[in-house]
Amino acid sequence: MASTEADTTERRGEGTRPGAGGPRYPGWLVLPAVAWYVLFFLVPLGFIVATSFGTVVGFSDIAYTWSLDNYRYLWDDVVGDLHIYRDIFVATFKLSIIGTLSTLVIGFPLAYYIARYAKHKTLLLLLVIVPFWTSFLIRAYAWLIVLDPEFPLFRALGLSDFVERQGILFSEKAIYIGVAYNYLPLMVLPLYAALERMDWSLVDAAQDLGDSPLRAFRRVTLPLALPGILAGSLLVFIPLTGEYIIPVILGGNKTFYAGSLIAQQFLESGDWPLGSAIAMVVIGALTIALLIYARVLGKQEQFG
Amino acid sequence: MSDELTIWERPVNRRGFVAGATAAALAAAGLGRFGAADALAAAEAEGTLFYYNWAQYVNPKTYAAFTKATGIKVKKAFYDSNETLAAKLRGGARGYDLVCPTGYMVKELIAEDRLLPLDRSQLRNVTKNADPKFLRTADDPKGTYSVVKDWGTTGFMYRTDKIKERPTTWREFVALTKKYGKTTMVDSSPEVVGSIATMLGYSYNTESQRELDQVRKVLLDLKPHVVALHSSNYDTLIAKGQAWMGLGWNGDGLALAGRVPARYVVAKEGGEIWIDYYNIPKGASNPDAAHAWINFVYQPRIAGLETSYSYYGSPLRRSLLKGTAAGKLLTDRVVFPPAATVKKLETNQVSANGKRLRERIWTEFKAS
Amino acid sequence: MTGRRLLGGYAVLAYVFLYAPILVVVAFAFNGGRDVLFWEGFSTRWFEVALRTPEITEALRRSVLIALGNAVVACLLGTMLALALPRMRPWLRTPIDALAYMTLVTPEIVFAIAALVFFVQAGNGLGLENPLGWQTILIAHVVFNASVVALVVRARFVSMGQSLEEASFDLGAGPLATFRQVTLPRLSPAILAGGLLAFTFSFDDFITSFFVTGPTSETLPIYIWGQLRFGVTPAINATAAMMLAFTLVGVVVAYLVLRRSEQGRERRGLPGV
Repeated sequence: MASTEADTTERRGEGTRPGAGGPRYPGWLVLPAVAWYVLFFLVPLGFIVATSFGTVVGFSDIAYTWSLDNYRYLWDDVVGDLHIYRDIFVATFKLSIIGTLSTLVIGFPLAYYIARYAKHKTLLLLLVIVPFWTSFLIRAYAWLIVLDPEFPLFRALGLSDFVERQGILFSEKAIYIGVAYNYLPLMVLPLYAALERMDWSLVDAAQDLGDSPLRAFRRVTLPLALPGILAGSLLVFIPLTGEYIIPVILGGNKTFYAGSLIAQQFLESGDWPLGSAIAMVVIGALTIALLIYARVLGKQEQFG
Repeated sequence: MSDELTIWERPVNRRGFVAGATAAALAAAGLGRFGAADALAAAEAEGTLFYYNWAQYVNPKTYAAFTKATGIKVKKAFYDSNETLAAKLRGGARGYDLVCPTGYMVKELIAEDRLLPLDRSQLRNVTKNADPKFLRTADDPKGTYSVVKDWGTTGFMYRTDKIKERPTTWREFVALTKKYGKTTMVDSSPEVVGSIATMLGYSYNTESQRELDQVRKVLLDLKPHVVALHSSNYDTLIAKGQAWMGLGWNGDGLALAGRVPARYVVAKEGGEIWIDYYNIPKGASNPDAAHAWINFVYQPRIAGLETSYSYYGSPLRRSLLKGTAAGKLLTDRVVFPPAATVKKLETNQVSANGKRLRERIWTEFKAS
Repeated sequence: MTGRRLLGGYAVLAYVFLYAPILVVVAFAFNGGRDVLFWEGFSTRWFEVALRTPEITEALRRSVLIALGNAVVACLLGTMLALALPRMRPWLRTPIDALAYMTLVTPEIVFAIAALVFFVQAGNGLGLENPLGWQTILIAHVVFNASVVALVVRARFVSMGQSLEEASFDLGAGPLATFRQVTLPRLSPAILAGGLLAFTFSFDDFITSFFVTGPTSETLPIYIWGQLRFGVTPAINATAAMMLAFTLVGVVVAYLVLRRSEQGRERRGLPGV
């Protein structure tokens, strides 16, 4: 396949070369984005890295002592008896996994329907996003109303007591609902993007050749949808690890995740060095996950 | 800049105001100042006040009255906690003219040199009308940077129609929390940790590891029975019935009692008495407007408006408040607790180290 | 075809899930009373209140403008990135890849604080009186959103196949013409999707905006957060309802316009998307 050749062949020089492999876009195209990243991301982040090796002085001043104290403090906690931070990291991981899986489960059939069967695809897709232009805080607070046992609908249907007993509001369940709701478009859009360019006749062909719908799905649809699933999962999982606002609003602010921890250090404690160290740990863990993703995507590029 | 005529006694000069607002806007745009010299002078004391504050902490009538009297427009922005304010200032945000931190935060900000000293010559009403004991407080001993905005207590409130008991101590509060499981608290580690500390007979400000460990145990024991931890709407939850008790502030407690059958109590073991201040942060673009505001709200009539809105104690001499909107609150024991109650309470004097210890307990509390 | 009908039914449920809280917001925007849980008669007064509150209208306007600007910039940067990266030499591509991914990986609170300090220091260095404002919000948003666009566009670009481009070259079209007439139309759904995501993220963003905003550049989420004392005020519900109406109208109009241009393209016999 032409694409494979273009990827695996080492090409020298820039500019496009008509002919085998198609156009190759000039490297300088990346410059604006890279410059932006370096100036407005790497430099600020450098500050965080430097601060993670510092020590807090007084209420919130930072002394750049270039020590590993913060990391040692975290390590001691993780392996120690108290392991407060370890529990928080585990809870964060759990939330991220559940959130990702729930958006995948809820979002995939929806994306599939729009991609394959819907007549007004773009419109339906836009309708998925439109609720998210009414501001995330408003939506979170709206859920507070919908989940409230006193919600007029429940009262009218006599379901108030039942809902009350479920104890959803201000519990972890409310957080999961809020998370699934808020991160849904992040999953649906990449899924759609991948499913949209699928050749559905392949699926029909597979079924004509005797595959059950489920088998056809597994053998034809799923592999081709995989990049979308991965992209969507990443777009959901990663920000979720830093999420702390939904737990504040919908969870009653009584659960703690990595994002809450970092926010607490920077806002309440004024201990920026420790906050920076925690942030570096989270970033480190996620970078590893991403490198794995890039690996898989790289393989995808070669055989796509 | 000294005003022999206090600001609201000067006739409001419309031309000066327009010129001043324009000049201020242009100055902000970096285009230099235009306009006549007196418009320049007017621009310094007029223009716009940028007031960064808690939400719903100022009577809306006061804004209008202030603008009417001084010609200064008020731009408002809101923060949800002292810590947010501090984080912004520490990060270097500039342009806020007036902020209202609580005492312990004022101490931190002074220690970090983030506040502007006040010009007392612009604050004649403060000198004239303030209750003397609020002119110098432990948070700002020389009164260089701060003027008291209001003060209050930390205790607990409960729905009298949902709870048949009538608790008066922290011990009962804790027991009832475990019994009903419908308690909210302010999202503030000093207040919660400190209150429980007094319950155990320790100082609100204790920094003893041993004592704090005891507090920690009580808190972890309590956690499963807590509904929510919100500084800004823990009282709303009680009003709605989603919670029946709350650890919080007297002003909220009184407001709650106005909406539903409820009572606010200062616990017998003790608690906190806190003070909120007016401060001008470094980098303020219009400190004169900030001075004008402080001076304005120290008029008895305006101070009465404020107290009647927020239900927090006024720093003015009580005799001056008679006949104002706050007149009938003067005898309210929630807004103006009697001396015997106040004696039991402590102010937040926690050091940086004590704060860290409390944060750690709080983290564990929230994560459990 | 029961699969199709089942899925259709599911889609309806999914949309109910998506719109339930929104409908609640809209319904209570018309609630005469203050308390959100008690219906006190139909009224439009909160709309008037919202429109008369300068903090709300300014914040809304600012949020929209920043989001638009950020979408445009993010699409530009992100698309260029997505186009050039796949064919770059690995030793060059990997670090840039890692950089782009890192912008997605960093917890927002961390980036927000870091950006705040950076802008203030840079502002001091440049002698700016008030370094923070809508510009810093936009800049910070683009950092994240360029990567989002790049991710979406790249996923599409990489799996698109190059046969049409090759054909175009064989027929004598230069690289720019090929890009404009062949690649870009095929890529445009992904760019559009990325742009929409970028707009949405920026408009909805709270944490980053909160920290890097200046005193005079409050966005709508920041304003709402500051009003948390009583939860969502009816005026805010009214604002949300108005925004919803506005965006729905905009979406339908955009869709109709898109459809017409698609039909136009079909009629002119251009390669299908």
